[in-house]
Amino acid sequence: MEGNDHQIVRAVLAGDKNAYGALVARHSQNVFRVAFRITGDEADADEIVQEAFMRGYQRLESFESRSEFGTWIYRITVNCALNMVNKRKSGTTYQIADDADPAQHQVQVADRAASPERTLLSREIEALQAKAMQGLTATERTAFVLRHMEDRSTTEIASALSIAPNAAKQAVFRAVQKLRRSLAPIRVTP
Amino acid sequence: MTPHSAHFNEEQLIGYHYGEAAESAAIEHHLRECTDCTRIYTAIERDLAEITAPVTPERGAEYGQQVWDSIRGSLRAYPGQEKKRWFSFAPGAQWKGFAAAAACLLVIAATFFAGRQWEHRNLQSPVGDKTASDSGKQRVVLVVLGDHLDRSERLLVELKHADPSTEGPVQAEARELLSANRLYRESVKLSGDPTLVSALDHLERVLIEVSNEPASLSQARLDELQKEMNTDGLLFEVRVLRSRVQGDVEQKERTSVATKGVSI
Repeated sequence: MEGNDHQIVRAVLAGDKNAYGALVARHSQNVFRVAFRITGDEADADEIVQEAFMRGYQRLESFESRSEFGTWIYRITVNCALNMVNKRKSGTTYQIADDADPAQHQVQVADRAASPERTLLSREIEALQAKAMQGLTATERTAFVLRHMEDRSTTEIASALSIAPNAAKQAVFRAVQKLRRSLAPIRVTP
Repeated sequence: MTPHSAHFNEEQLIGYHYGEAAESAAIEHHLRECTDCTRIYTAIERDLAEITAPVTPERGAEYGQQVWDSIRGSLRAYPGQEKKRWFSFAPGAQWKGFAAAAACLLVIAATFFAGRQWEHRNLQSPVGDKTASDSGKQRVVLVVLGDHLDRSERLLVELKHADPSTEGPVQAEARELLSANRLYRESVKLSGDPTLVSALDHLERVLIEVSNEPASLSQARLDELQKEMNTDGLLFEVRVLRSRVQGDVEQKERTSVATKGVSI
């Protein structure tokens, strides 16, 4: 269905259920991305996408036309992902892809190792990073992902997590502190 | 501001890194002069640069459609569509409405006609010995059925509070009730009372299970049986039916007395 998000929402509320499919198609990639970044798990992210759009549909009457559907569904997704992380806190894994930008993975090491060794080191960093992420609370992890990877402001994070801006700021700060502490062992100061 | 008079803490520097520090200009100025804070800030920047987002797995162009296909079945259309369907001006839509209304009228008329016929036939039938005899039989059946339900209720209560040592008598009672229950179920089925038939059916399954269990039942098996067969639910059902049957018996008795009064 063509038309902007607000027109589609009106059509859905007027009884055209299938129009919602256009909103799903339009926003599912973004929703999947944030869900994956928060959970670190592909299957969980797929589940969250479905849940978020279902919740979105059920609450569509509460969607205010002055806001953007994309922002609204994003917020719902963050909440679903937060719940999922809370639920899976004990056994979750954080996946790091092999083809991450190598330029951003450079670390200060005393010995400039050969390429295979550096690759190995890079993998170690990734593994440590994954472990460090697991050590965060669900709120810290979500707040950090939104701040650091999704480039969301403190106000947006607070709104998405339904917490006070200062609490959101504190969550990001605690997450950074914990992550830095966890990654410290692999760093060798020159 | 001198370099050492007002150092910034880690939290402020992290805020500054993300462009959200309230005192952004002051920090910037301070970092130019203070080597300690610059060192800390450089370390923060380096650490945060190392933490990158995991590469999001690819989701094809058809992903949205797949998601929609997976959830559409669980979603109900908002009521707007229902209204539209009934008052639509689309070609043929009003005829569908008229057809539905006509069908409803036809059903109502048929029900009314059937009711009149039944009433007429009943009025025509002689009120005599035969009716009194039928009523008497029905009353006897209800009394016996009431008694059966009463015994079944007691058995279910016993089963509910049973422990492995008391299982023997319960099983014997269940076997006795089972054959009677079969007869009642068959006769009630003919009279067409689906609620009673269903309850007797459920009761029969429980009675079969209890009868066929080995003599020494463990507490776990008892619990399992109670859970599997929903004996609590059945007990409630039997209680309701027993009080209903009791009510029917009393009504039959009153009718019988009234009929006698008319005869005299």
